[in-house]
Amino acid sequence: MKVYAESSELVIPISYESTEVIETGKWGFQKPHTAYMTAPCVETCPAGNPIPTFIYLAGEGKFGEALETILKENPFPGVCGRVCFHPCESVCNRNQYDEAVSVKALERYVFDATVDLSSKLNPAPNSDPKKIAIIGAGPAGLSCAYFLALLGHRVTLFEARKEPGGVLRWGIPDYRLPKSVLKREIKRILRLGVEMKTGVMVGKQISMESLNQFDALFLSPGAGVSLPLRIEGENLAKVWKGTDFLNRINTGEKVRPGKEVIVIGGGNTAMDVARSARRLGSSVTVAYRRTKKEMPAISDEVEEAEQEGVRFEFLIQPVEVKLLKNRKLRIKFQRMKLRKTSQDERPRPIPIKGDFVMMEADRLITAVGEGVDLSWIPQVLIENGFLKPASSSWSGKTKVFAGGDAIDQQRSVVMAISSGKRAAISIDLSFRGLDPEEVFSKIRVGSKGALSMEAYLKGRETGVWEEPKGVVVYDQLNTVFFMPSERVIPGRLDTVKALKGFSEVHTGLSSEDARRSALRCFSCGTCNYCYNCYFFCPEGSVSLDPVNRIRKVDLDHCKGCGTCVRACPRHVIEMRLIS
Amino acid sequence: MREFMTGNHAVAHAVKLCRTPLIAAYPITPQTSIYEKLSEWEASGAIKGIMMRTESEHSAMASCIAASLTGVRTFTATSSQGLALMHEMLHFAAGCRVPVVMANVNRLMSAPWGFWADQLDSLSQRDTGWIQLYCENGQEALDSVIQAYKIAEQVYLPFMISLEAFFVSHFMEPVEIPDQEKVDQFLPPLDLPHRFNMEKPGFYVPVVPSELYRKYRHMAQNSMDSVKEIAAQVDQEFKAAFGRGYGIIEPVMMEDAEIVLVTAGSITSTARLAIRALREQGHRIGLLKIRYFRPFPRESLQQALRGKKKIAVIDRNNSIGGGGIFCQELRAALVHSSDHPFIYSYVAGVGGTDVTPEVIQKIALHAIDRTEPVDESIWIMEE
Repeated sequence: MKVYAESSELVIPISYESTEVIETGKWGFQKPHTAYMTAPCVETCPAGNPIPTFIYLAGEGKFGEALETILKENPFPGVCGRVCFHPCESVCNRNQYDEAVSVKALERYVFDATVDLSSKLNPAPNSDPKKIAIIGAGPAGLSCAYFLALLGHRVTLFEARKEPGGVLRWGIPDYRLPKSVLKREIKRILRLGVEMKTGVMVGKQISMESLNQFDALFLSPGAGVSLPLRIEGENLAKVWKGTDFLNRINTGEKVRPGKEVIVIGGGNTAMDVARSARRLGSSVTVAYRRTKKEMPAISDEVEEAEQEGVRFEFLIQPVEVKLLKNRKLRIKFQRMKLRKTSQDERPRPIPIKGDFVMMEADRLITAVGEGVDLSWIPQVLIENGFLKPASSSWSGKTKVFAGGDAIDQQRSVVMAISSGKRAAISIDLSFRGLDPEEVFSKIRVGSKGALSMEAYLKGRETGVWEEPKGVVVYDQLNTVFFMPSERVIPGRLDTVKALKGFSEVHTGLSSEDARRSALRCFSCGTCNYCYNCYFFCPEGSVSLDPVNRIRKVDLDHCKGCGTCVRACPRHVIEMRLIS
Repeated sequence: MREFMTGNHAVAHAVKLCRTPLIAAYPITPQTSIYEKLSEWEASGAIKGIMMRTESEHSAMASCIAASLTGVRTFTATSSQGLALMHEMLHFAAGCRVPVVMANVNRLMSAPWGFWADQLDSLSQRDTGWIQLYCENGQEALDSVIQAYKIAEQVYLPFMISLEAFFVSHFMEPVEIPDQEKVDQFLPPLDLPHRFNMEKPGFYVPVVPSELYRKYRHMAQNSMDSVKEIAAQVDQEFKAAFGRGYGIIEPVMMEDAEIVLVTAGSITSTARLAIRALREQGHRIGLLKIRYFRPFPRESLQQALRGKKKIAVIDRNNSIGGGGIFCQELRAALVHSSDHPFIYSYVAGVGGTDVTPEVIQKIALHAIDRTEPVDESIWIMEE
């Protein structure tokens, strides 16, 4: 056979030099921009938890980094991973594809999997640290303290009770939130240099006026006063207040509610009361004046209460309580019906005239809502029975802020955390003489109220903040690259076991389930190094470094074809015209 | 083994016998049954390797070029518009000196739209640097694919085998399928000197200065010229191994012929019959089949047609403004012949119209009656 070429170059020209000298990037008129958009879950989380980022890290098995990521925006991953009502999951883009990602369970897993608490959290440099007093060490107060400490300020926390935690310590029962978890979270916060003074009640041990020595105040007294039923017989010794009942359990007292217990209310306190009473051996009936659909309690709680044998009576409202000779209580209930008032409002319960029902019980526990004790608070800080989130003046120079359940906002742990963060930034801005609203418009996460501490810190030194990112909607995802998969459900104690005591009901995810669950995340708007752009780029201009989390485009050679934008399943990249 | 099959399936059988590990193609009528047969075999595991179902013929050819540069045998099949879409990549294939083998089912070029036999599609690609061969029937198509690999892989030039739509692609005939073992012996494994080298990464198709461009073009021309000799040699080897040979050109009853019909493709078969009848009528007529169009077998034709008085070329194609393309090429090849014959150009069978023995006799008689040369192509139409 004839050989017509002795070496490859004799057949065709082959260059062994780099073609990088040819700057094809100069041909383009638009360039890809790694936009890192906001996912709907992050927007909806009141704490602005960077969910896709922490889930990406969790999926990589980097739980420590995942925890650090959450801690940038939320000091309570272990708590929120257990008790949050997870609005993030209801807006998860995956709902439109198959089923939402189990964000809450993953957050808990990340916390549980991280034994080492020596996180790399360091206070930001602050050449002019201020002194701030925080009244009330519940989730809002602790959150505010945490973020102020991260901003380099000196924080003193005043707590009336003998231990910090507020509703997390004295309200939520152990089977939902073990005390050890809370302790770990608080320890981490205090280690930032927050001074904690427990057993100090403002108005008793110290006066409100004495707080004037601080540069700013944050009030987070919570809402711990059980609201009355305003009916005859509610002051009988056999009628308990729900918050008192939970408080006694959480103090470690041996409480015996009796054989037959009736709980009045449909919120989370009512569910905590009912399920606690079940654990104390009672047979429990919850009476609520509307229907199941209108119950303000987290639906998971209602479902689990049902599974634990809690009975529900809907559309009844107590009107009278009597103590019978046999030491039992007889409660007279008025039957109700619902009337729809307007499109947005919840339907209102209306009494059905003359229609009553009698029930007997050993104990009645009321949980129809909690009020704020405002007795010790100057009038100027109050508006419509709530504390004002920010008051410009009170008695001279001290600026006063407030948060948590004592202000007029939805009552949940994550909202309390959110208000603490918002106040911390407001306080910091007040020292800098900047308009908080203007700054909030830059550091907002989407448009549902959440703020990003990370974004705030980025512009804090220069006073210049980037524009906030857009929110990725489902249609912007390229779902061709996804596969349907089932939502991962965390494990739970069986009911018999659960009712034996106050052991945590949810057992969490197994490591395999956690990984599987994490990998289900579409990672909307956040690069998770799927390498699609890298593989699809016709120019080989994309370089990815998952270890250091760097995504770079060689703009000298990117022609601006936009293929990467199309190939990105999660809308991380956007094309921008070259100006 | 002898089987009754279409020309397209004969091509598919050849690809299978050559153990081509990478096939990249896009379906188009009337080529699709090649694609389908190979797909079927890929699915059943009868052929080993990858069948790339690309999004266009342009991509199919680009895939073949890239794969070929990794040092593997490649194949694609197309037709008409698909071939036209490949045009840019055809130049790249030749310029990259890759021995890609392609079957092109000759179909008319649109518009108007149609699917019928016409050689204009492949003849339009004559300057792309591909070896071009025209088959008369299914058996020749099968045998030519095997020969094509052996030739292409020696000269590092791509090879296009053309078979006419329906007349060859879909007509069923008995076809002898060679033994795999014998094909393996006949066809050595591919060894491409310029394949990608992981040890020494390089950039292919770089920008080159004018002189270098000219150098490589000239090298390709020399390689193409060498095909005439290598193709004849491979055909002889093939004949020795399988008992069938075709030559570069094939003269039929030429010894005493005064007038010679020149054909390519399936019209040749009909012409074989037609000249027998004409000879019975007393005409000293012969037939010359042109198998290779690129490289154009100039020397062989000059030799075969020496001393002939009249030549009638039948073209199933027409270059608008130029006439029958085989005839143009033949006239150019014979321009320096001392006893310059009259070369008549007949355009017949365009658009898949039937070229019957009667049509061929009519052409022959027309040429016999002429006493003067005619420059233009003469179109043969129904009365």
